Amino acid sequence: MALRTIRTEGDPVLSKVCRPVREITPRIRTLVDDMLETMYDAGGVGLAAPQVGILKRVVVIDVGEGPIVLINPEILEADGEQTGDEGCLSVPGMAGKVTRPMHVKVKAQDLDMNEQILEGEELLARAFCHELDHLEGKLYTSLVEGELHEVNYDDEDGEEEE
Amino acid sequence: MINGINDRELALNILLDIENGEHSDIAVRETLSKHQFLPKQERAFITRLVEGTLEYQLQLDYIIDFYSNISVDKMKLPIRVILRSAVYQIFYMDSVPDSAAVNEAVRLAQKKGFFNLKSFVNGVLRSIVREKDKVTWPLREMDPARHLSVRYSMPEELVKEWIEAYGEEKTETMLAAFLEERPVTVRCRTYPWDPALVRKSLEDQGVHVEQGPYLPYALRISGYDHLRTLDAFVKGKIQVQDVSSMLVAEAAAPEKGSYVIDVCAAPGGKSLHIADKMEGTGMVEARDVSEYKKGLIEENIARLNSINVQAKVRDATVFDAESECRADIVLADVPCSGYGVIGHKPEIKYRRSAAGQEELVILQRSILNTAAEYVKSRGVLIYSTCTISRAENEENMMWFLNSHPFRLESLDPYLPEELHCESTGLGYLQMLPGIHDSDGFFIARFRRNF
Repeated sequence: MALRTIRTEGDPVLSKVCRPVREITPRIRTLVDDMLETMYDAGGVGLAAPQVGILKRVVVIDVGEGPIVLINPEILEADGEQTGDEGCLSVPGMAGKVTRPMHVKVKAQDLDMNEQILEGEELLARAFCHELDHLEGKLYTSLVEGELHEVNYDDEDGEEEE
Repeated sequence: MINGINDRELALNILLDIENGEHSDIAVRETLSKHQFLPKQERAFITRLVEGTLEYQLQLDYIIDFYSNISVDKMKLPIRVILRSAVYQIFYMDSVPDSAAVNEAVRLAQKKGFFNLKSFVNGVLRSIVREKDKVTWPLREMDPARHLSVRYSMPEELVKEWIEAYGEEKTETMLAAFLEERPVTVRCRTYPWDPALVRKSLEDQGVHVEQGPYLPYALRISGYDHLRTLDAFVKGKIQVQDVSSMLVAEAAAPEKGSYVIDVCAAPGGKSLHIADKMEGTGMVEARDVSEYKKGLIEENIARLNSINVQAKVRDATVFDAESECRADIVLADVPCSGYGVIGHKPEIKYRRSAAGQEELVILQRSILNTAAEYVKSRGVLIYSTCTISRAENEENMMWFLNSHPFRLESLDPYLPEELHCESTGLGYLQMLPGIHDSDGFFIARFRRNF
């Protein structure tokens, strides 16, 4: 496993549409492993392949309930609404308010190419939408209501005391 | 994707700041001002979660201890605070589904770097949700102090002290009052402004104004977003002050042209009030111990545009020979334990220590010693605190009477009739939250004999 470089806004790879995965090759497995490692290392809750420069329809997500791997994902249903801050590893140090569906149902393949159907609410629903947008070359910054603002993701472990 | 900082995480960060010694009101204000983009309802959620978790801390700890096999005081600080605020949501915030409170707490534990404690947080909270009606509380008949302590989240030593001083019934009334929400009280200046116009200006800006208790110029205001957006505040027509603190200027009852020294003045509310009562004549010297505090006073002097108040850096415990026997009135509003204002600053109740209490009394007496020297022959000394502790109030008063050439003087001519009682006739007043419609506060009026 290895960390990959996260591409940031302005990199043309982030605005391209990704190609479907036809079979799970060892390269795809390595890609998924690396993406998970890179996401955890950066403190993200989701990462899409184009963010590490690979134009394939592969997404990893972990909103605190364990890793989810999505190959060739599609949204089947979406309903409800939530508005809140979201950020992106490709737009470091910034966040902005985005309205997303509250509940999302997704169809995708797993690493054995078996079809799986997943449902998510709140943060997971938001992560599904955000990562699937990446596969279409779309960043959340185009959806932000109002202004992007700066954030500090500081005191990571809360252990330091004065 | 990165999870944007959410409300609960902001609330957690504020609570951790408070655990590290920050004042609750300042910690909330600072964080919210950094996140001004947050909609009003999220700001309200954060404020409520922080204040509620703090106010009910002891009770929340009791509940957690009931279900956890690791006691609260052995937990790592962030885990303890995460659990407390989740339990507050489960027990006191009906709008939050229990599952959301639990899931968000687990997520926060992970985000704060406690990956291996996720299942612990999850387990404790899930059993609390499942069996929340099964908590057994300490029985009142067995141990009234322990019962009241858990029920109203007040350290047991304080409950015991107050039961001894005021009886169980009054103590419970006070404990309940501390947990009640109270709108902000402001002093509407009657000089040099027309109070009717000031009130109108507030109402024109959509503020809900209610008549406050005891004094016609005490107003309760609510329904505004930020004080600094109010014209009446910016132009110095109102001053935020509890009605009990306004009574100090009433009790001082300065004649026009008096020379007044306020030895612990910051941020200057009482000094400015006394200055207003003299309608621009005389002089109030508003002293405090540091440049920083002097700055706070000066900020208020400038906003109110008062010409007869002057801020000075002076340590109230150090005798200032120049002021000897010079003041018509000296105000000693001394640093105190602050138990009277627990309703506004809930962290005060958890910061008590017996040693701290003794040191406070020593400090207060030392300030009284020097303050007494500044009062001219037949002049007046006002002693006040924002606490309900006997040691800092009546006991200091008795000590002072026995060791200085002063006598108590009736407060009745200066106070509204509804406050008159045996002690006001003698010259002092202990206000108790819930019994009086105000914070807890103490005022005594002394007259120098010669």
